[in-house]
Amino acid sequence: MSGGKYMADGKNQSLFREKPIKVLLAKPGIDGHDRGVLVLAKAFRDAGMEVLYVGLLPTPEDVVDTAINEDVDVIALSLLNGAHLTVFRKVMDIMKNKGIDDISVVGGGTIPDEDKPELEALGISGNYGPGTPLSTIIEHVRMRAEEARIKKLR
Amino acid sequence: MTNIGDLVEGVVRSDRRSIARAISYMEDGHTEIKKEIMEKLYSHCGKAHVVGITGPPGIGKSTLIGNISVLLAQKGMNVSVLAVDASSPYSGGSLLGNRIRMQENLFNYGIYMRSLANRGARGGLSVSCMGAVNVLDASGSEIILIETVGAGQADLDIMNLADTTILVLGPGLGDQIQAIKAGIMEIADLFVINKMDIDGSYFAMKDIEEVISMDDPRGFRRRVTGTSATDHAGYDELVNTILDHGRYISGEGIIGRKRFLMGARWILESEIGRIIIDPAMDIIKKKGTDKNPYVLAENIISQLNAGVLKEL
Repeated sequence: MSGGKYMADGKNQSLFREKPIKVLLAKPGIDGHDRGVLVLAKAFRDAGMEVLYVGLLPTPEDVVDTAINEDVDVIALSLLNGAHLTVFRKVMDIMKNKGIDDISVVGGGTIPDEDKPELEALGISGNYGPGTPLSTIIEHVRMRAEEARIKKLR
Repeated sequence: MTNIGDLVEGVVRSDRRSIARAISYMEDGHTEIKKEIMEKLYSHCGKAHVVGITGPPGIGKSTLIGNISVLLAQKGMNVSVLAVDASSPYSGGSLLGNRIRMQENLFNYGIYMRSLANRGARGGLSVSCMGAVNVLDASGSEIILIETVGAGQADLDIMNLADTTILVLGPGLGDQIQAIKAGIMEIADLFVINKMDIDGSYFAMKDIEEVISMDDPRGFRRRVTGTSATDHAGYDELVNTILDHGRYISGEGIIGRKRFLMGARWILESEIGRIIIDPAMDIIKKKGTDKNPYVLAENIISQLNAGVLKEL
């Protein structure tokens, strides 16, 4: 069984009675560095989540469409190319235009500390960089998923 | 969106968010909610041609679906896709990786696609599949492509859900004996040999042709089509055979019949289980019994005063 030091285990494993968290991993924009996002994909899977990955080079529109069609709880955006302020904002704008407020958005990648307040203000939380323990990221996604679930029940 | 009436109304006018949420309820909702949705949707169901695509892991089912969904969309058909992937037996999580092979085509043509985790179900589908198909059917999909979990010889659930079952195979998977084995080889209405650009694919075609030549000549004549994503070959022919089979089952008046029967059986089993078997088991657990299970069953049936079922 997988699960190193930083992995979080999923719970209630064989019974599938609880609704698993559904998370969409996406690297919108021109960025081919997908090693990190694949590590996260497996870590989320091992933490009991249902994981989608949009692959390389989707547009922000593609990301939001996928999130809608798959009815995910969390969109996890990652960029290592420095375009996070532009592209993450675009994703949030599209969601706003479509009136979607029941999907949480988290971010990550190589994001300078001074950019984080701006992303937070857009509603994008986390914004973790290299070296963050997987357990920290998983806990954060679980927390934001819970928020989204509560909004979906309204 | 907790108002089920609004949700169903959204599904019927093909609103993507409503469709997605309704499928989520089919996956995770309480029985009462599913029941309410089905009651309201049911009159809109029964028109879609459901095409199941099954075959071993890595044989190219997702890529194939991406390619044929476009050809169907180009013919002006309303297409949607459901893809089931495996859940982890350890964590309960899943990597829903089918989408990535087909999404470029889906984006370009605005095709609705939904990934489902099998959540421990054996047989190649998830428990929610039936409900999801009904939602898509009610939303106006004319053709629904379902991809099963990578299948083995005995993952046969798709035969009870799809109007047309397609088995995707490739070169190097076995000889003539493998081809006449019972199980998954029998349930296919259409065969595909994928990866035709690889050595051995013509032998694989031949083995399937030989199986088909032994079929009962009455009824639909099963076919095998060779495809290759690398050369983008064979898809037009495959789409035509799918539509031919669709016309055949429409002509026989049996579109949706298997789906209806399986749905009825599932619901009957779960409701009878809940109302009769669960309470009976509670009594057995609490009081204990020295009777053997056959006698217990007879006692329960005679107490239900049914004996023979006269009408529904």
